[in-house]
Amino acid sequence: METTVVTDVGTEPVTQPDYHALNALLNLYDENGHIQFEADRQAAHQYFLQHVNRNTVFFHSLREKLDHLVEEGYYEPEVLARYDFDFIKSLFKRAYAVKFRFPTFMGAFKYYTSYTLKTFDGTRYLERFEDRVCMVALTLAAGDRTLAEQVVDEIMAGRFQPATPTFLNAGKASRGELVSCFLLRVEDNMESIARAINSSLQLSKRGGGVALCLTNLREAGAPIKRIQNQSSGVIPVMKLLEDSFSYANQLGARQGAGAVYLNVHHPDILAFLDTKRENADEKIRIKTLSLGVVVPDITFELARDDEDMYLFSPYDVERIYGTPFSEISITEKYREMVDDKRIAKKKISARKLFQTIAEIQFESGYPYMVFEDTVNRANPIAGRISMSNLCSEILQVSAPSTYREDLSFETIGKDISCNLGSLNIAKAMDSPDLGRTVEVAVRALSAVSDQSNIACAPSIERGNQLSHAIGLGQMNLHGYLARERIHYGSPEALDFTNLYFYTITFHAIAASCRLARERGQSFAGFENSDYANGSYFRKYIEGTWEPRTPRVAELFEQAGVQLPTPEDWQRLAEEVSQHGLYNQNLQAIPPTGSISYINHSTSSIHPIVAKVEIRKEGKIGRVYYPAPYMTNDNLEYYRDAYEIGPEAIIDTYAAATQHVDQGLSLTLFFPDTVTTRDLNRAQIHAWRKGIKTLYYVRLRQLALQGTEVDNCVSCML
Amino acid sequence: MNPTIPLLRGVQAINWNRIEDEKDLEVWDRLTSNFWLPEKVPLSNDIPSWRSLRRPEQLMTTRVFTGLTMLDTIQGTVGAVSLIPDARTPHEEAVYTNIAFMESVHAKSYSSIFSTLISTEEIDEAFRWSEENEFLQRKARIVLDFYYGDDPEKRKVASTMLESFLFYSGFYAPMYWSSHARLTNTADLIRLIIRDEAVHGYYIGYKYQQALRDASPERRQELKEYTFELLYELYDNEESYTEDLYDPLGLTEDVKMFLRYNANKALMNLGYEALFPKKATAVSPAILAALSPNADENHDFFSGSGSSYVMGRAEDTEDEDWAF
Repeated sequence: METTVVTDVGTEPVTQPDYHALNALLNLYDENGHIQFEADRQAAHQYFLQHVNRNTVFFHSLREKLDHLVEEGYYEPEVLARYDFDFIKSLFKRAYAVKFRFPTFMGAFKYYTSYTLKTFDGTRYLERFEDRVCMVALTLAAGDRTLAEQVVDEIMAGRFQPATPTFLNAGKASRGELVSCFLLRVEDNMESIARAINSSLQLSKRGGGVALCLTNLREAGAPIKRIQNQSSGVIPVMKLLEDSFSYANQLGARQGAGAVYLNVHHPDILAFLDTKRENADEKIRIKTLSLGVVVPDITFELARDDEDMYLFSPYDVERIYGTPFSEISITEKYREMVDDKRIAKKKISARKLFQTIAEIQFESGYPYMVFEDTVNRANPIAGRISMSNLCSEILQVSAPSTYREDLSFETIGKDISCNLGSLNIAKAMDSPDLGRTVEVAVRALSAVSDQSNIACAPSIERGNQLSHAIGLGQMNLHGYLARERIHYGSPEALDFTNLYFYTITFHAIAASCRLARERGQSFAGFENSDYANGSYFRKYIEGTWEPRTPRVAELFEQAGVQLPTPEDWQRLAEEVSQHGLYNQNLQAIPPTGSISYINHSTSSIHPIVAKVEIRKEGKIGRVYYPAPYMTNDNLEYYRDAYEIGPEAIIDTYAAATQHVDQGLSLTLFFPDTVTTRDLNRAQIHAWRKGIKTLYYVRLRQLALQGTEVDNCVSCML
Repeated sequence: MNPTIPLLRGVQAINWNRIEDEKDLEVWDRLTSNFWLPEKVPLSNDIPSWRSLRRPEQLMTTRVFTGLTMLDTIQGTVGAVSLIPDARTPHEEAVYTNIAFMESVHAKSYSSIFSTLISTEEIDEAFRWSEENEFLQRKARIVLDFYYGDDPEKRKVASTMLESFLFYSGFYAPMYWSSHARLTNTADLIRLIIRDEAVHGYYIGYKYQQALRDASPERRQELKEYTFELLYELYDNEESYTEDLYDPLGLTEDVKMFLRYNANKALMNLGYEALFPKKATAVSPAILAALSPNADENHDFFSGSGSSYVMGRAEDTEDEDWAF
C-alpha cells in the first residue's frame, strides 16, 4: 500500500515528467511561436497517472464503497436513505457513461485539491468527479428520482454547475453550509455590533463569504449617551471583523472572507478608504477585508457641478428621522438634511472623493461600488436595498433586528443569504431544451434554500425562509462568442448577450412560478411586488425584443432556441399573478472563479484576463489555464480584458443588467498607464449605462522592456 | 581626515524639468509606482503551509532568506549608495537613492517573513549560519571589495551581478515552493522584490553601457575581461553555495540551470553576449513561468493580495467628464 501524503507534492520522484512543469509550458511559446496546448493536456494526463490514480482508494463495487463511506462517517446516511440502491446504482452508471475527462490540468488539479472527498487524514482520495456529481444530485433532489437524473445530466454535460459551497459540501457528513453568501445589517448599538461579529464567525466557519453594512454606525467623534467625542467610528469595528474572518475557516477548506460596505455620505468615508492605503499605519490598515462604497445619484450630480458634498452623522439622522441612515434615500433627502441644523455634518469635495476612490483602487483594487439609486429603481421587491455582498452581485432588501441586553433577539429582522450556481452559456446554447436546463437549475438552487438551516444566525434563517432567494448565474460568454467567431464587445456580441439574458429570464420566472403552483407557496411579500401588480412585465409585453443582427438570429435558430414572444410574456404575467413566484430573487451573476476552471469556461460574462491565465490561490499555488475553445488558429477572438477596455465590458454588462433582478459582478481592467481620471470616467460611464455595481479594479503592469522573461505568453501582447 | 564628499561637488538643485537622459525619468516613474511595503502581504496565511514543510525544507528556506537579507543589506547600505558619486546626471543620483531605500525595504521584508513563520531562537540560529557560511561570506566580500574600490565602472558591474545574478540562487526556493502550492504569500512578496531587482539590474547595466560608449577601446577590452573574470569567480562560488543549500533536497542541478540562466541575463544587462549555451540554462518551466515580473496574475479574495497593484497617478477630472 502506498502511503504518500496527497498534498505533499514536494517529495515526489523526479524521474517522471513533472506535471507542474508541463503545465507551465503553456505560458512559454514553442520555437515556432505557438502556444503549447498539448503540454497542458499531457500535464492533466500525467497528473492522473502519477498522482490521482495512485492515491485513490479502490473499492470492488459501488455498494461496498457507499457502505464504507456511510459507516466510516464520510457520507450523510439520510441522503442515500431516500433512494433504493438500484436507483442509486443506475444514477452512478448514468454519470459514468458520459466518459468525462478534465480537458485542462487546472480543472483536474483544482477539483482534486479543493473539492473531492478525502480520507480524514487527508492522504487519499475517495471520490472521482462522477461520484461528487451524483452525491450533489442525490442531496438536492431529496428523493425525487426524476430531478436527481436531471441534475446529473445537466452537471455532467457541463450545462449547469452549482457554486463551490454546494458542489464541495453536498452529501458529506462533516461539512460546511451549501449556501454561498451572507449579508448582514449592523445597527448603531453595541449589541448589534457584537451580534454581527458573532454571526461573522459562525457563518465563516460554515463556509461562504459575509458582507456587512456599516452605514448605520455613528461616526468617529459622535456622542455616546449625548456626551460629545466618544465614539471611535467604523474603523475599530472593521479591525475586529478582519481578525474574526482570519480566525474562522471552513475546516481549513478555505479562509473566511468578508466585505464591509459604507455609504459615501458617512462622515468616516475618507478614513474608511485610507485603511487600504499602501502607507497606512498598522493600527488602521485593513489587509484582507474587502471594501465597498454605496454611491447615490446625488453624489454624481454634486460632482458634475463641482460642488462640495455633505456627510451626515448617522446618529443624528436616525434620531431625527426615526429610521436607520441606510433606510433613507440620500438623493431624495439631501437638501432637507443639509438645511437641518440638528444634523451634524461636514463637507468634502465630491470630485475629490471620486479621485480618492480611484487612487485607492490603484493601490488595492478596492472599493467595490454600489449605485444605490439605480439598484433601488430596478428592484421589483418592496423595501430598500442598502448594500451588496463579497462579490457585489447580491442585491436584496433587508430589515433590522433588535436585541436585548444579553444579545438575544427582541425582534428578528431579515438578513440576506444567497445560493448560487451558473450555466455555461456555450453548453446551454447546445442544450436540447434550454427551458428545461434553466428549470432544473432553478429547482436545484431552490433545493439548497429549502435544505438550508442556518440556526446560528436567526435573522439569516428567517430571511431565507421568507424569501427563498436564489442566484442563477452565467459563465463562458467570451468562450462561447469566440467559439462562434464573434468578437467580445462587437454589435453581434451585445445583441446576443441581450437576447440570451432575455430568454433565460423568461424561463427562470416560469420555473419559479411552476414551483409556487406545485407547492402552493410564494415568497413573503409577493403581493407587494412588481411581479404581482404586473408592472415588471410591461417592458417585455410592450417592447420589441428581437435579434438586430443576422448572425445572432442565425445562432438562436441553429441552436433551436425559441425567443419568447410578447404573447408568451402576457401568458406568463397572468400565471404569475395567479400562482405567484416561489423565489423572491432569481438571478445574480457571480464572478465564477474556481467552478469555471472545473467546468472549463471563461469566468462569468467577463472577457478573459489573458490567453493563458496565471492563477494564484492559497491552496493550489501558481497554475496556468488556457481559455476554452482556443487553438493556435482562432487567437484573434481571444483579445483580453485589458485590450478590450472598460467601455466594451460595461456595454456588455448593460445589455445583461436590464434582465437581471439582482446584480452582476463587473470587474474593470486597465493598463497601469492610466490615471485616476480614466478610472473615474469609466465609473461615470457605468453609472450612466445603468450598471448596478462595480467589483474589482484590476491593473496590468507590463515588464519594463529589457526585463521580461523570454518567450513568455503572458508577457506579450 | 576629511575626504571630499563627491555628493556635494558644486551645489546644484535637481531640475526634473530638464531631463538629460529620458531613461532616468522612465525608471524613476516605474520604481516609484512600484513602491510597496511588506505589511501589505498577508504572510500569516502561510503559517499552515510552513508547518507542512519537512524539517530540512524549512532549514533550507530559512537559510536562503538570511542569505538574501545579507545581500540586500549590502546593496542598500553600500552598493546603491556607492554608485551615487559616479552618477552622470542628478536624476541618476535620485534613482540610486530610491534603489538604496527599496533594498532596505527588501532586507526588512525577510525579517517580516521570519517573524511570521519561525521563532526568535530559530531566527538567531539562521543569522549565525549566514555569518559563518564561507561561501556566503566570500560572495559578500568579493562584491564589497569593488564597492569600496575606486573604479566606477567596476562598481556598476559588481552591482549588476548582484542584482541580476547573485540574488537568484535564493529566489529559486520561494519560486519552487510557489509552483508547488506552498508559501504562496511569501512568494508574492518575493515576486515584488524580483519585480524591483529586475529594474535595478537593468538600469545599472544600462548606465554601465552608457559609460562604455565613451570609453577607449583598451578600456572597453579591460572591462570586458574584468566582467567575465568576475563572473567566473562568482559563479564558482555560487555553485558551492548552491550545493550547500540545496543538496539535502536534491534540487541542486535545477538551481544551477537557473544560476546560468540568470548569469546570462546579467551579461545581457551589461551589453554582453550570453556565456552559457541554451542547453545549460534549461530552467524548469514552472520556475521560469513563476518568475515573470509582469503583474498579470489573477487571484481571488480568499487568497493573498498578489503582486499586481501599483501606486496610481492622480489626475483631476474635468467638466467634460461629468457631462450628463
